[in-house]
Amino acid sequence: MTPSLTRRLLLASALVLAGFLGATGLALDQAFRNSLDTSRELRMEALLYTLLAAASLEDDGLTVEPPLADARLRTLESGLYARILDTDGNTLWESGSLTGMRWNGDGALPPGAQRWSRARVADDRALVLSYGLEWDDPAVGTGRFTVQLAESLSTRQAELSAYRRGLWGWLVAAAAALLLTQGLIQRWGLSPLRRVANDLDAIRRGQAERLSGSYPLELRPLTQSLNRLLDAERERGKRYRQALADLAHSLKTPLTVLRSRLEADPDHPAPPEALDQIERMDSSLQYHLGRASRAGQSGLAQATAVAPVIHRLLRALPQAAERDLQARVECADAVRFPGPEADLMELLGNLLDNGAKWAQSRLLISAVHPAPELLELSVEDDGPGISPALSEQVLERGVRADQTRPGQGIGLAVVRDLVNDYGGDITIDRSELGGARLRIRLPLHGSALR
Amino acid sequence: MRLLIIEDEPQLSQQLDQRLCAEGYVVDVAADGVTGLHLATDYPVDLAVVDLGLPNLSGLELIRRVRASGNRLPILVLTARHQWQDRVEGLEAGADDYLTKPFRMEELLARINALLRRAAGFAHPTLTAGPLALDTRAKRAAINGEALSLTAFEYRVLEYLMHRPGQTVSKTELTEHLYPDETDRDSNVIEVFVRRLRQKLDPDGSLQPIETLRGLGYALRLGGSGADS
Repeated sequence: MTPSLTRRLLLASALVLAGFLGATGLALDQAFRNSLDTSRELRMEALLYTLLAAASLEDDGLTVEPPLADARLRTLESGLYARILDTDGNTLWESGSLTGMRWNGDGALPPGAQRWSRARVADDRALVLSYGLEWDDPAVGTGRFTVQLAESLSTRQAELSAYRRGLWGWLVAAAAALLLTQGLIQRWGLSPLRRVANDLDAIRRGQAERLSGSYPLELRPLTQSLNRLLDAERERGKRYRQALADLAHSLKTPLTVLRSRLEADPDHPAPPEALDQIERMDSSLQYHLGRASRAGQSGLAQATAVAPVIHRLLRALPQAAERDLQARVECADAVRFPGPEADLMELLGNLLDNGAKWAQSRLLISAVHPAPELLELSVEDDGPGISPALSEQVLERGVRADQTRPGQGIGLAVVRDLVNDYGGDITIDRSELGGARLRIRLPLHGSALR
Repeated sequence: MRLLIIEDEPQLSQQLDQRLCAEGYVVDVAADGVTGLHLATDYPVDLAVVDLGLPNLSGLELIRRVRASGNRLPILVLTARHQWQDRVEGLEAGADDYLTKPFRMEELLARINALLRRAAGFAHPTLTAGPLALDTRAKRAAINGEALSLTAFEYRVLEYLMHRPGQTVSKTELTEHLYPDETDRDSNVIEVFVRRLRQKLDPDGSLQPIETLRGLGYALRLGGSGADS
């Protein structure tokens, strides 16, 4: 399935943001590390020279007079250490911080040489600056020495960690803020699309006829085309219905003339097969024209509210007026039929007509959505009921359960066809009122029940 | 009873005209909607039979306009459209009943009879007024259970009065509703028929069923008349 626009945009911007902010973070990290190292080296060099400035040549070699330049040199295990070696690598002097500590490796250097190296000092990894020199003192003589300064790397690591925590914290916060902003912008920017979707849904549910909101420039070609399509569809349906009505009119009026001509003459009774053929033509016309005029379910076919149609049909039901039937309707206002009004009327009209024909005094009509995507219509009566053996047959065209009652046996066949068109099913069983219950279940949008 | 047929198919219209005349109705015929509307609103019509597929003015629109003018004229719709939606729309436009083509003439007659009855407030096809009973299906009258021998015209006068129990019906109204053409109308003839009807209904003068209101007309006054149960 194609991911939604919101999902795509968010995913894309999240990826771009992660890449961009990640690279930024790495670059900043690198720059900070470099500047940290440079400043440390400068600092250590400066300190080395300060130490040399305080150094003096004694008989037993070069020593540094206290007080030492940096307080850390006097503090045990402070992380900053200094010592002076002779040409053989023997320690001539060491700072107070190094008292009793080990400093391995890093032998003496020739005069004038400078070396950066790493070593373990006082059980700690340290950066070491060694500087070889020749000390010339007219009073004492000349000697070659190597001055070494070491600074523990763990302090550098601590500084770097603190910096990184700050850096990445801010970057993550910035990413979150940017994503949130991006989401809000998207929500606002895509809201017209959501509105179109909602409006289309309203059309589908029968609450609107066309897309009537004001939409942004980019969407207008789409919404205008949709409106034109809807109008054209409706207009076409109307014309089609009109054409079918005209056809029915032009075929049935001659049939009427023919029939009354055949029936009118008392001296020459009409041959029964002639009247029978007229009956058959009429019944075929009614069935096939009716079938042709049904819209069935299509993508944007609008839904119809069920309750008003039930009440309108009940008012139009001839038996209801003549026989004073008690009809009870159980149907919430929100119940919808997934097709045009004409189809619902045909469906319910035939069901009600059938119910009213059999009912003694009571009818119960109910319409509910037992599941969100399902419509259930049922019509119950207190008549004799339909036996299970008959229930399959009465849905056939031309089959009447009781030949003595009026009707052409078309009504329930029409119901069955309509139900099939809508992918639903129909069951006939016994009603609590005592008679038959015809129950129809229709899926609301597209998919068939089975 | 005066019926108006609005039907554009000449043969059907003629058949209806003949059959309804034979049943004792006075029949006017219109072949298009505009003429039909004119006749329905400006003429003394008791019931209209309207085809929906009419030229000039559709049957539905005609019914709407008749009702919009406040006319309660009973209207029976004839149509080739058998869809429930058409039926509901026809009845909502103001029609009283609905018959789809091709229909049996007998069914049309029964529906017309029922509509006329219902418009007068009778639920049963046999109208009663005191001891008088009028079987509108068999077109027979009986008093205290004894059949009366009435001519067709006498029956029509009685039927018209029975459909308006207690109301004053002028001679002009009677002639308008019972005679097809204006040229035949003569109120003296009505007086003669009413006198003969009185003698047949009330040979010993004990009932006095038809009251004459001088200068106004006649009224049927018998106990228990009116809309029955």
